[in-house]
Amino acid sequence: MLSALQNPRQAAAQLLNFGLILSTAFMMWKGLSVISDSPSPIVVVLSGSMEPAFQRGDLLFLWNRNLMEETKVGEIVVYNVKGKDIPIVHRLSTTHNGPGRFANGTRPCREEAKLLTKGDNNLADDTELYARGQDYIERKDIIGSVIAYIPFVGYVTILLSEHPWLKTVMLGLMGLVVVMQRE
Amino acid sequence: MHSTIVRGQNVFGFFTTVCFVVAALIAASDLLAPRTPKATVAVKDLQVVRGRPHYYSTKKEEYAIIRFSLSADLSSLFSWNTKQVFVYVSASWPNTTLGDAGKGEMVNEAVIWDTIITNPSADHLQNIGPAAMKKLVRSAKGKTIDPSRGKLELKNQKAKYQITSPDGKLAETDNMVLKLHYNVQPWVGVLTWTPQIEFGSWKKVKGGISKAFRLPAIKAKKVAEKKSA
Repeated sequence: MLSALQNPRQAAAQLLNFGLILSTAFMMWKGLSVISDSPSPIVVVLSGSMEPAFQRGDLLFLWNRNLMEETKVGEIVVYNVKGKDIPIVHRLSTTHNGPGRFANGTRPCREEAKLLTKGDNNLADDTELYARGQDYIERKDIIGSVIAYIPFVGYVTILLSEHPWLKTVMLGLMGLVVVMQRE
Repeated sequence: MHSTIVRGQNVFGFFTTVCFVVAALIAASDLLAPRTPKATVAVKDLQVVRGRPHYYSTKKEEYAIIRFSLSADLSSLFSWNTKQVFVYVSASWPNTTLGDAGKGEMVNEAVIWDTIITNPSADHLQNIGPAAMKKLVRSAKGKTIDPSRGKLELKNQKAKYQITSPDGKLAETDNMVLKLHYNVQPWVGVLTWTPQIEFGSWKKVKGGISKAFRLPAIKAKKVAEKKSA
């Protein structure tokens, strides 16, 4: 730390480097977000309701565009429920489209489609999980369909959120490394 | 520059790089395994009854109860990177309320039956009782891949889920079809569903769609009359 005061040029370079790492990570996240059209293109599985397909801590990559086809039954979607801040990963079990074909002959209105989901490991569908009086979710509630999967990598985030003291330990270790490196 | 920390960082960096490259190679190896599934689905028995969505509901809806037979060979879907195959049968039907406007659009689709087939390497993750687990593990003893699990023979199978429509009307719906779908869940990599187009050595499902059928009129009343008589 003392050496940083003695050599401000080096300190500035290191600060810049740190900023670069942070902004690169942020750019990649936002870039993925734009490509996949999803506010959160990578999610970590938090519950066991999709076992044995997904365990807690597995990393999922989402895709939220309907380029080739509509969101269909059997797809695993991540959706938000009004009044709950944690998104849910479950499989689409039922789709009822909007009013079929419009009078002008355009494609059926998927915006108004009524969708129903169910967890592979749950016995019944998710009607109970939805907001009060809500029987179906809509396309706009979905923030993406799962397209790719990496096991276990996201477990760090679960550990950090469930054991807050780990954050302090990690920050302390990082600080220690920075201080040690200066010498 | 050659402190212990820098060395540690380099080793960890190299370790993660190797891990991701190996994972990517494993994921890519899926493309080499040919997929040639085939299936036949046939409707066996159809019924439409009136019922309530849940115990406290006052709303009455029409539910279709479908029995079907399925003969499927999905054994080619099992490779070393297969964690499980999710097999499901869906019923799809066009909108009736629209008349001609909605013709030809299979706008409603609902899963009526599904099952999870794990590769032996993922058996321990199944949520089943200890006895069933023992039996499952023994069925594939010494094997890490068991393609024979992909062979399904269902006769007069009852649907797991009853289907209805948002307006609660389903009786005498025409042009309903049953379809078999699958979803391959890998240990690492891209999830794949029943392909709409042929892709390399991955073929479309041979068959897998039932003949179009019409749901019967509501039956519940007759049954009630018989009971009271």
